Amino acid sequence: MGIIETKELTKIFSSGSKKVIALSEFNLSLERGTIFGLLGPNGAGKTTLIKILLSIIFPSSGYASVLGRSLSDYTVKEKIGYLPENHRYPNYLTGGEVLRFFGRLSGMDGAVLDKKIDELLELMNLTKWKKTKVKTYSKGMMQRLGLAQAMINDPELIFLDEPTDGVDPLGRKEIRDILLELKSRSKTIFLNSHLLSEVELITDRVAILNKGKLLREGTVQELTEKKEEYRLSVESSDSSFKMPAVYNGVMISNVKDNFYSVKATDTNQLNQFIDYLRQNKILISGIVKEKSTLEDMFISLIQQAEKETVQ
Amino acid sequence: MRNIYLMTLFTLKEAMARKVFLFFIGISILAIIVTALIFSLVDTQSIISGFESKAGNDLLVRNIVSSLEIMIISPLAGLGLLLAIFSSSSFVPNMLEKGNIDLLLSKPVSRQQLLWGKYIGGLLVVLLNIGFLVIGIWIIIALKFSFWDPTFLWSVLIITFTFAVLYSLIVLCGILTRGSMLGMMLAYFIFLILSPVLMLANDKADIFFKNDTVKNIVKGIYYFVPKTSELMGKMITELATGKGIADFQPLVSSFIFLVLMMVISIITFRKKDF
Repeated sequence: MGIIETKELTKIFSSGSKKVIALSEFNLSLERGTIFGLLGPNGAGKTTLIKILLSIIFPSSGYASVLGRSLSDYTVKEKIGYLPENHRYPNYLTGGEVLRFFGRLSGMDGAVLDKKIDELLELMNLTKWKKTKVKTYSKGMMQRLGLAQAMINDPELIFLDEPTDGVDPLGRKEIRDILLELKSRSKTIFLNSHLLSEVELITDRVAILNKGKLLREGTVQELTEKKEEYRLSVESSDSSFKMPAVYNGVMISNVKDNFYSVKATDTNQLNQFIDYLRQNKILISGIVKEKSTLEDMFISLIQQAEKETVQ
Repeated sequence: MRNIYLMTLFTLKEAMARKVFLFFIGISILAIIVTALIFSLVDTQSIISGFESKAGNDLLVRNIVSSLEIMIISPLAGLGLLLAIFSSSSFVPNMLEKGNIDLLLSKPVSRQQLLWGKYIGGLLVVLLNIGFLVIGIWIIIALKFSFWDPTFLWSVLIITFTFAVLYSLIVLCGILTRGSMLGMMLAYFIFLILSPVLMLANDKADIFFKNDTVKNIVKGIYYFVPKTSELMGKMITELATGKGIADFQPLVSSFIFLVLMMVISIITFRKKDF
């Protein structure tokens, strides 16, 4: 059983006669030790999903379990950490007090908690701010404190909603390193982020959500790989050779100088085309499968979904 | 229990961070100092001899002491309660603010525990403040008259209970509206207007209402609405004068109101999306 399991999970918000489907029959099975990225435009249902998994809101229908236990069992949260988007801490508390309060609520106490607070403040570069009231903290500092709070109980599963929001590039890199370090310790991280380039760098699996519906799910490589599309680089020894635009069903287009984009329906067709080039004494210096960025794929997928909705 | 204790401590800390509670403590300290100063200038024998007594001297002293206690404490406790309502009305809405409630609910704490922590924390703040004020005044008067009768100290519990009843309504309104205004206004309305009017209407029902249906409706409302006037007036006087509580109905019906408000609050809070 996965660390997170959802089956036909649906959430409908009702306001008078108006109904909004925030999440529609969402299915997910997440393995332990994964960094999972949930992507989607604003209002896609990303935060709704996290909130359902933490019992902050309740599903309209469907089933979900976290760490193998039902959502109604609140004690499961002893092993969960959460950094909400736009989190707020009482402004009369200091950074150290915030961590102490949430640490104690998570079931920790005494010297173990003291040690953990100091460790996390050190990790987040907040040690010298330990006794300063959080109302004086900058956005970036609040975000780092939030991350420390999410890690205070040494959780097995961490939900992070826009963790790098308001953090400078150096701070983002530090947060990425922390997440990778957590992954190396078999922690599972569920990440909501608008920063696709960042998600691409650290996640193992990605799901794309739009208007409550799961559009695609898979590894970053699976999602960004272009099917049967290759980038070919050649060194022509025969100057009279002219690259055809179509060969036996293979579409060829010149990208730049000796670089070509080759579209074949299968590997067989591609190999026939390579044989043809070799017969014409064309030296092939490289062939790689074409990839799009996560951002390209995300945009085209959302645009396609929007078109289908209009139709 | 541990979670309720933690939430209670957290609420106490929140209260201490508020200026209004410091203001309340300030007023209490000032009241105690002023009372002490006045009594230091007054000769008790002249007060006692100023009253004629057919009963014994002890009873006379008792009457004077309890009258003084009621005279000083009643307005101060009323003011204290108004301040307590004002300050505590935002405890629950603050907890329910976006970004805050998400964090609390993501911890291994049940919703019921969160709510009880907030409720008990609020009560404890008022208990401590009222206790400080009443005990302070009581000590000064007892020292001056060398008359140590602790029955008046029961008024600390009565005042806190009155607040507990109104606070249960504030908690429910806070959960329903996620704001402090409705709860605060209803509490003030009951405390300052509805309860005194209903008490009078109930006492004089036969004179005011000729129609039986209207009379029964008024009585029904009277029994449902918390009896803050009886609690803060008649009951405190009865306790201060050592007569004991003659009629427990205001206490019991107000307690039923409290339980009802808390049950509805818990059921609503447990089902609410945040």
